Amino acid sequence: MTESSHKSVLALQPRTPALPGLALAVGVHAAVFGAALFLPQFFDRVPPLRKPIIARMVALGRPRDPHLLPRKEMPPPPAPASAPAPGPVAPLAAPAAPRVPGKGPAQPAQKHAPTRQELMQRALARASGRASAEPSKEEPDPERAGSATGSAQGSAASAEEGDAYFTAVHDAILENYVVPSVISERERLFLSASVLAWIGRDGQILKHSFQKKSGNSFFDQALDLAIQQTRLPPPPADLAQSLRDTGVVLNFKP
Amino acid sequence: MILLLALLLAADRPVIDLAGGRVQAYPLAMARPLGAQEVSVAVESVLSQDFERSGLFKLLDPASFLAPASEGLTQIDFLKWQAVGAQGLVKVSCDAPGAEIKCDLRLYDVAHGQELLHGNYSAPRASQRQIAHRFGDDVVRFFTHEPGVFQTRIAFVRETEAGKQIIAADWDGANPQPLTGASINLLPAWTPDGKSVAFTSFRDGGGAHIYTVDAATRQVRPLVLMGDFATGAAWAPDGLRFLFSASLDDNTDVYLSQADGSAGRRLTDARGIDISATWSPDAKRVAFVSERAGTPQIFTMSADGTDVRRLTFQGNYNQEPAWSPKGDLIAFSGRDEHRTFDLYTVAVEGGKVTRLTQNAGTNEKPSWAPNGRYLLFSSTRGGKRQLWVMQPDGTNPRPVTSEHLGASDPAWGPLLPAK
Repeated sequence: MTESSHKSVLALQPRTPALPGLALAVGVHAAVFGAALFLPQFFDRVPPLRKPIIARMVALGRPRDPHLLPRKEMPPPPAPASAPAPGPVAPLAAPAAPRVPGKGPAQPAQKHAPTRQELMQRALARASGRASAEPSKEEPDPERAGSATGSAQGSAASAEEGDAYFTAVHDAILENYVVPSVISERERLFLSASVLAWIGRDGQILKHSFQKKSGNSFFDQALDLAIQQTRLPPPPADLAQSLRDTGVVLNFKP
Repeated sequence: MILLLALLLAADRPVIDLAGGRVQAYPLAMARPLGAQEVSVAVESVLSQDFERSGLFKLLDPASFLAPASEGLTQIDFLKWQAVGAQGLVKVSCDAPGAEIKCDLRLYDVAHGQELLHGNYSAPRASQRQIAHRFGDDVVRFFTHEPGVFQTRIAFVRETEAGKQIIAADWDGANPQPLTGASINLLPAWTPDGKSVAFTSFRDGGGAHIYTVDAATRQVRPLVLMGDFATGAAWAPDGLRFLFSASLDDNTDVYLSQADGSAGRRLTDARGIDISATWSPDAKRVAFVSERAGTPQIFTMSADGTDVRRLTFQGNYNQEPAWSPKGDLIAFSGRDEHRTFDLYTVAVEGGKVTRLTQNAGTNEKPSWAPNGRYLLFSSTRGGKRQLWVMQPDGTNPRPVTSEHLGASDPAWGPLLPAK
């Protein structure tokens, strides 16, 4: 038996160089990153509806003569006190006091008390939405003159559908969103802040953190307070998970 | 991979833009004064009035305070102040060991339990109000980075049985001091250094002429004795020139003169009345009232009288323009369709007119605070004509004077030079 050139399998093998393996790993990672960033744009994804629905109330009325000095915008008059809910039995109308002709202001004609049947019909009409479709009998108020075509401050010429839940979030935060008057008007022009908020399944804001502070501590403090005071409705099922895990970005400007 | 996941999640986050938050006064608690009560309470009272009139702060009701009245200047239970809704807290402690009073005044941030301002002030007893005004101005400057006006002075016309006299007073109407006797004196205008007041007077019996009175010595000297009608001095911001209106050859025009009244030069020459000139803050343009369009309207022109432009086109009687120190607005009084004079502003760029007062008596003669944050004006909303102050959007109107027969023609003095 000649001297064997066999080597033991337990003998040390020459090592594969590490560089190609490392290069391969980097290459694979880069490919995965690239695919994740660029591939989605080649697929048709329906963008989620996340634009809040912003509705601006408009005051329609007789256009004011442009040659007159403007009127001051006044808050709308308080709504008239709602009539008491009709009971099952209509109260008897009090007998009208005898009116002396020619004395005192004219009294409005007495209305008869609605019957049970009329009350039922009205309730049914309200329930079916027909009542709201009735044309308003309100007399135009000459003090409420406005543009015949709507509000000059309107933001859009046509209605646009948005996401109802994010609209609710927008409105709820806006209700508590206060800009401290101690911040000068000039500074307000340049302030902006971005807050990331996570919302729980019950609508509670679980936590929030500033992505970008405004640089004015009083403004940031006011935003903190606004978010703390905000109570949100529970999110719909399809959003609950992402709002809890990913959160929502709130961009604030005064 | 974690980074990738984070990137993907961030890209998928919904974004909500929020703008148009309600501008609301800053909730401020004025703690019960410490130290010598008589002086401390007086200083705290002036300071509270300054803050309330400023419109910047909402003073909380002391009845709601949870912290004990004896709480010191520095050992503060901020949770108790937070619980009543305070965001800022002011502590006042004054002592009057002799003829002078000394006050320690502090401002705290309640949320962070942090001292924001601390000042030690002293003044003669007679000037204790000035201590409050000084600290108030410091607080305003701290928050807004703009000068406060609590130490400024105003001038106005007091109605008396014997006539009308020029009065100088603090910004809140306190310390009124007559500068003239009671002939017919009108339209005061402070010089930019705040040392004297020009005014229109019929004192010499030869018509209306412009005089000036030294605010310290009350010495009166004539400034413009041109013709038989010279009125309405308006000083340039540099104090070296002033505008006025004079009537020569049956035509009233705007003139420009040197500070001593010499070298008067006519700037307008249209038929009809040109009057009530006011400088832009950079002194490059002048706003004035002219009847050249048939009815009194606000016009502007270059300071040399060229480049005349009509600014108001609404209403048929617009008068008394006052150019804001920030330069963007001109306040004026205008007569509306109900024949009532009210205050308006018109944007220098674009000419948008905004109404400031409505259904509150007659409102006239607007005068801007030197920081542009307030308008002083005369109003009959309380019965007699008195001076009121409000913010330039017409909110937070507050009475300034309570003169027996009335007050009119307000003129807000300049800011004091920084010490």
